[in-house]
Amino acid sequence: MKIALFIVGLIVFIGAETTCAQTQLVSRNAIMSFFSSAPIEDIKAESKTGYSILDVQANTIYFKVDMRTFKFRKGLMQEHFNENYMETDKYPYAEFKGKIKEPVDFSKDGTYDITVTGDLLLHNVKQNYSTKAVLTIKNGNISGSSNFPVKLEDHNIKIPTLLIKNIAEVVQVTVNVTYENSLARKM
Amino acid sequence: MAQQPDSVKAIDTLGGEEHIPVIATFKSGLIINGQSNETLHKSDLLVDIAHRFGDIGGANGGVHNFYGLDNSTDILISLKYGITDRLMIGAGRAKGAPNGVNTFQKELYYLSLKYRLFQQTTDDHIPLSVTLFGNTVICGMEPLDLATSDADFQNFGERMSYTIQAVLARKFSRTFSLALMPTYVRRNYVSFQDMNDLFALGAGARLKFSPRMAIVADYFHSFRTEASKDYYETVQDFKFYNALGVGLEIETGGHVFNISFTNSTAILDNQFIPSTSSAWSKGQFRWGFNISRTFTLSKK
Repeated sequence: MKIALFIVGLIVFIGAETTCAQTQLVSRNAIMSFFSSAPIEDIKAESKTGYSILDVQANTIYFKVDMRTFKFRKGLMQEHFNENYMETDKYPYAEFKGKIKEPVDFSKDGTYDITVTGDLLLHNVKQNYSTKAVLTIKNGNISGSSNFPVKLEDHNIKIPTLLIKNIAEVVQVTVNVTYENSLARKM
Repeated sequence: MAQQPDSVKAIDTLGGEEHIPVIATFKSGLIINGQSNETLHKSDLLVDIAHRFGDIGGANGGVHNFYGLDNSTDILISLKYGITDRLMIGAGRAKGAPNGVNTFQKELYYLSLKYRLFQQTTDDHIPLSVTLFGNTVICGMEPLDLATSDADFQNFGERMSYTIQAVLARKFSRTFSLALMPTYVRRNYVSFQDMNDLFALGAGARLKFSPRMAIVADYFHSFRTEASKDYYETVQDFKFYNALGVGLEIETGGHVFNISFTNSTAILDNQFIPSTSSAWSKGQFRWGFNISRTFTLSKK
């Protein structure tokens, strides 16, 4: 009985997978980084395991990243980032759900300047963002990049007064993504 | 509507692939007296200064000694360095806290090695952190002209003592961590009826109550033989006590301040485990602090 259910579930799952694959592009190695520039020190970190889905029909874009995968130059910074600032044991993921404002012809090669608007859930605080991004389409392969500021206060990330010279109040975030599947055959 | 299944799928895809190590079981390499499971990150240099004041109460405390602040029973200055994220070395010097009965040793120089064998993971793939610690202490004082003491050195080997320890730690929740420290202390030269080889079991805990503050405590039970205890108690009128420390830990970026109360006078494991003779119940506990500062030397 259980096996039968499992098989049915599997078929339904595979079915769902194939139907949405027509319009959805996926990446499991989106590169996300941030940069903080403060009088005492510059801090930067990067994760290469961001997850993203681009739905070319609905014109939506989705990102999710495990905050614990951000790598720093200094081990102690990484520890503080996780423990004191992002509290990744409580809030391990950051998530973005957005919409591409301009219509994009995904079947045509080229570089498109777009505006993405959506909600970023970071440190368990949701904020609306609207940012410029660039989409590049070549032979059905799609990649995108964007760069926008995040104000730590907006996400309730607190910097102790003592460390105000070490950490910038506004951090520059960069996202680079190349989608794994191409649209070439399907469209 | 299409977004709903996407996020569900994303949860399945993320995590699970990698066992994420549990961080900050303790905030520094020392709980109070004893070692924690934590080691330094690669290329980090730690400067550690520890201090124990005199008795707060009892015969040597009270207002005329400013509740112990006029005296210092032990002072330790040490440097530690992370060779890798798992292996660190240390060197330092302690004043030493001779109690004048079972130990007379002071001017203690030490080298230490600490290796992180296992690190607990968030998915409990590894449920326990295990760190190994070892040190070598050399007593640098002039030999004492007292045959019954542990300081009338006849050769260099008699100046040496060693600690070998395993730290088993687990972070049970984001606020509570516990550690057990089975310990072996080897002292090459000891006073009459004292023990060259002594086993002890330590326990330590951390309870975080604010993002940067925690209550910490540690306790060492030493397995001294009845014969040895009896001799000191009846002949020398001297009693051994187990070391108990309770403290407040404050973390501010690269600094960790640890302010504590402890009945042990000495700071080095080789001395406070076998030779603590002051009791909480007699007011013989003291203020102590550890201050550590981390410097990152890597330029990459």
